Amino acid sequence: MIMENKKDKTVSLPWFGIPRLWPYVRPYKWKIVLMVFLGVLSSLIDAAYPLFNRYILNVTIGEGKTDTLPVVIILYLGVLLFQVWDNYYTIYSCARTELFTDRDLRNSAFGHIQTLSFSYFNQNNVGYIHARLMSDTGKIGELVAWRLMDTVWSGSYILFMIIIMFITSVRMAIGVIIFVPPVVFLVRYFQKKLLELNRRVREINSNITGDFNEGITGARSIKTLVAEDRMFEAFKKDTGEMEKTAVKTAHNSAFFITSVSFMSSLMLALILYIGGHLNAQMLVGIGTLSVFMSYAMEMPEQIQNLVSTFSSILAVQVNIERFTALMDTESEVRDTPEVIEKYGDAFSPKKENWEKLYGDVKFEKVSFTYPDGEDPVLTDFDLDIPRGSMVAIVGETGAGKSTLVNLVCRFFEPTEGRILIDGRDARERSISWLHDNIGYVLQTPHLFSGSVRENLRYGKPDATDEEMYRALDMVSAGDIVRKMEGGLDCDVGEGGGHLSAGERQLISFARAILKDPALLVLDEATSSVDSVTEKQLQNAVATVISGRTSFVIAHRLSTITEADIILAVRDGKIIEQGTHSELMEAKGYYHSLYMQQFGIW
Amino acid sequence: MDKERFPDNKSLILYFLKGSAGLFAAGWLFSCLLSVFNLTNPRIIEYVIDHVIAEKKMELLLPAVLLIVFIALLAAVCRYAFRYLNGKASEKFVCRMRDCLYEHMMQLPFSWYSENITGDMIQRCTSDVELVKNFLSEHMTNLVRIIVLIVLSVIFMSGISIPLMLISAAFIPVIVLFSYTFYSRISSSFRQVDEMEGYLSAVAQENLTGVRVVRAFGRERQEREKFTSFNEKYCGRWTHLMRLLSIFWACSDLISGLQVLTVVSVGAIFCIRGHILVGQYVQFVLYNAMLTWPVRILGRVISELGKAGISLERIRYIMNSEEEKDGEDLVEVSMDSDIVFDNVSFSYENEPTLRNVSFTIHPGETLGILGGTGSGKSTLMYLLEKLYPIEEGCGRITIDGVDINRIPRKYIRENIGMVLQEPYLFSGTIEENITLTSDENDPVLLSEATGTAMLTETIEKLSRGMETYVGERGVTLSGGQKQRVAIAQMLMRQPRIMVFDDSLSAVDAETDARIREALAKKSADNTVILISHRIASIMNADHIIVLDDGRIAEEGTHEQLVNAGGIYSRIFKLQTTI
Repeated sequence: MIMENKKDKTVSLPWFGIPRLWPYVRPYKWKIVLMVFLGVLSSLIDAAYPLFNRYILNVTIGEGKTDTLPVVIILYLGVLLFQVWDNYYTIYSCARTELFTDRDLRNSAFGHIQTLSFSYFNQNNVGYIHARLMSDTGKIGELVAWRLMDTVWSGSYILFMIIIMFITSVRMAIGVIIFVPPVVFLVRYFQKKLLELNRRVREINSNITGDFNEGITGARSIKTLVAEDRMFEAFKKDTGEMEKTAVKTAHNSAFFITSVSFMSSLMLALILYIGGHLNAQMLVGIGTLSVFMSYAMEMPEQIQNLVSTFSSILAVQVNIERFTALMDTESEVRDTPEVIEKYGDAFSPKKENWEKLYGDVKFEKVSFTYPDGEDPVLTDFDLDIPRGSMVAIVGETGAGKSTLVNLVCRFFEPTEGRILIDGRDARERSISWLHDNIGYVLQTPHLFSGSVRENLRYGKPDATDEEMYRALDMVSAGDIVRKMEGGLDCDVGEGGGHLSAGERQLISFARAILKDPALLVLDEATSSVDSVTEKQLQNAVATVISGRTSFVIAHRLSTITEADIILAVRDGKIIEQGTHSELMEAKGYYHSLYMQQFGIW
Repeated sequence: MDKERFPDNKSLILYFLKGSAGLFAAGWLFSCLLSVFNLTNPRIIEYVIDHVIAEKKMELLLPAVLLIVFIALLAAVCRYAFRYLNGKASEKFVCRMRDCLYEHMMQLPFSWYSENITGDMIQRCTSDVELVKNFLSEHMTNLVRIIVLIVLSVIFMSGISIPLMLISAAFIPVIVLFSYTFYSRISSSFRQVDEMEGYLSAVAQENLTGVRVVRAFGRERQEREKFTSFNEKYCGRWTHLMRLLSIFWACSDLISGLQVLTVVSVGAIFCIRGHILVGQYVQFVLYNAMLTWPVRILGRVISELGKAGISLERIRYIMNSEEEKDGEDLVEVSMDSDIVFDNVSFSYENEPTLRNVSFTIHPGETLGILGGTGSGKSTLMYLLEKLYPIEEGCGRITIDGVDINRIPRKYIRENIGMVLQEPYLFSGTIEENITLTSDENDPVLLSEATGTAMLTETIEKLSRGMETYVGERGVTLSGGQKQRVAIAQMLMRQPRIMVFDDSLSAVDAETDARIREALAKKSADNTVILISHRIASIMNADHIIVLDDGRIAEEGTHEQLVNAGGIYSRIFKLQTTI
């Protein structure tokens, strides 16, 4: 199947999408207000420090009044101590606001993902969803804390500097202010260019990572094709491109920083010139001149901060859009409010109202089209599966054998018609109730990191060791686990990586039958294991399906000849239906599939 | 083992620095000049205050101001040169590092790839490379810049007042030591946060990849609880770290503030007592301010320097891995000659795969090899292609009587075309993949190759045809389609000997038969080796070998084997009697 991520809706949200974030920010609003207030205070102090110097220069040194010096020192010390506390508190609460918002965003996103239907997972790959969950949320957290703080701090710092300048000397103030527009222009010009270049650098960088990946995972093909030199040539093209682009970036950023600091020097020169004359006319003291010189050095840097903060605020828009798009996605398979009322939802099930499931399944005039597909894969499909029957679905890899199972498990909902479970429309009862009664074994068994016990308890949280060993013995895996270090407490590793493929599959079998489900789905459960394990698994299959309604999707046909109903699938459609002997007699597609198989090796 | 190519990190970094060392040095030189110019400005300000203004020589004001502008211009040139050269040097450096790594990896033996974990190797080539780059372009550069600045400032300050300089400089070691200690201590907290993020990310990853299991077992609630609790821990760790960092910053603020206060107060007193002039006081305060930030980050820079060692070590491992080598006195033999497997045995990590296998392939012959998973049939071909070496005393393979150890590996691989069971498609178009190893782009040959591989129709169905992008970032082809692309790819190379290693396993039976028919026509005089576990695929071969558990169990023609009543005939019956 071709996997292409669903294109994000690129509708720009009003007000940079910030109103959509309000619910996540609201719990911290007072923290944010306090943080902003303290930030403004801190910038005011920073803007005021040069005034101490001014006093010392104009009064202490200029007029030789040394008696006030101790007062100045104490006052300075007081202001310093206050600012140290203020900075500590601002930074810490800013960090907490960021982290808490992040955490809340991630929790809601994760919870929401748990409710989404399978079509979402078919249309978006894991990496994509993972990035929405982990990195978009982080960027948003940064926005509501640091970006906000930066804007407030630099903004008020600039404002205070301007106010103080105008109060102390209007003429010199004008000398500084005339530099503001060119600096703003300069910063904006380069910021835009650098943003573009940096994006390009990131792109090439990911290409290079891809090249390394290809070079390593494709080693066997490269060697047998003697393609080493060609691969290296192609690689050098990418790294060469990277060097070119990165050097261009370096040139731009060097030019940018150089021009901003040159502006700063020009400002300083102008201040000195105006100030020198004013001082000569006794209009300003040396102290005032030094205040302006400090500001001349500080101002361009703060403007640069402010502008770059603005552009990063704009950049976060994308993250906000993607995040809200995720939160706006609604599951196509949902319980009605009445069903939720009676049976509860996935997070708070009302198990006391759940009926027993016996396993009669009936398809009634079911039509189905995949949400991302065009052609219907089922049209007016009828099938009656009495409880305890075994249904086998066969066909080549990628032929669409999972469709029927997807519908029975309510991973998807029929486009038309209905599926009856124990004689009642499946939609009359909750998805969680249904899932609680299904045992599911996949071709590539998915184990979670943790112990064997934790994995087995996945379906039955209160299972005792005895029950677990009984289930393991049923699939002849009891002895395997007993021999493991720590037995049930043995750590299976990430994705079950410490175990062999066969062991993983046996454990996933045990996991499925431990919950004693009325419906059992074996999705190519016996392929991709060695022949000894396959033999064990076949025995296990025979044991576990007895007495349950089972759906067996199979690649190897030797396992399913005993099935009550065999469905042969080709190009997504069911083309034959019957028992083994009926279908062999018909000498159709099933017959030809069967003929191709060797089974023995 | 031979002496390692790079015995230590220093030799490795010097090797990578070829071509960029000069640029780095030039950049650093400009950064020193820049510091000198930056320190000149306050000196001019001092002159303006103490001599121009105080002595009322206003005619000198304009020249002084113009001098500032001039110095600013020089400083701008230096600043640009420093930034640009440093950027260029680090890009050249990182480019060379990547190229060297990739080129070297291409020459490593195949066993290296199976012995090392892919993800780890990629990480070494990307994150570790980035870290080493930052070590040079940021941390080393900063270190040089800051130390030069400190030394120069101290000299300039001494020119004004040595006691005042001593007071100002006394704080430097305190601040540096304080931040160095802090950052060295806190690195474990950073690691913990990273670790926690790794766990949280893994929980999400497992949940997303296992979404079917989660749903089918109705574990949404527990999964959410698990995620929430990890999320809480992660958030908690970060909060703790941020608290430590805020305290650290506050303390640094305090120390720097106290330093400024001391310098200002003592300076003022010196000024009143007439030890220094007003302008000198201003000049001194400016120098002091210029030092504050560099000194504050110096401790951090020093603590970062140590981290690059580990990354270099990891890169060195790759660079020191031994390259694939051919033996001595090499000969290029005629490929139209007998290929002989003479008593060949082979083990993967003490697991015997082949035991005393002997057989001969005559030129122009078609050999069929039948065997189950793990019977060693692919290994035979890997040995022939020299992907793995044959150990001393484990037999030998000869072509035209010459041991393959004496035949250049590239010569063998070019002449023995092999189609793998799971071929790898590279990022690029289908056409680029098919013509990957053919020197000239012959459209006739291309259409013949795609035709023989039964690809023409499949490609026509794709919206962009031959230009369809495949591989990691493109359209995913099915296993059978990939195999057919690989067959076309091999046909484009026109090798003397063709090996099909179970390479039609994912193709349906009908297409399989048609491809084999087309191939037989095309390659009537080529030597062909067919490996399969389907009898239908190999039954027309001139000679058939049946491998079982690393041994030749039976051999002969199809008729002989069917009549012999062994494994082969058993399997043959199984598929035909159903």
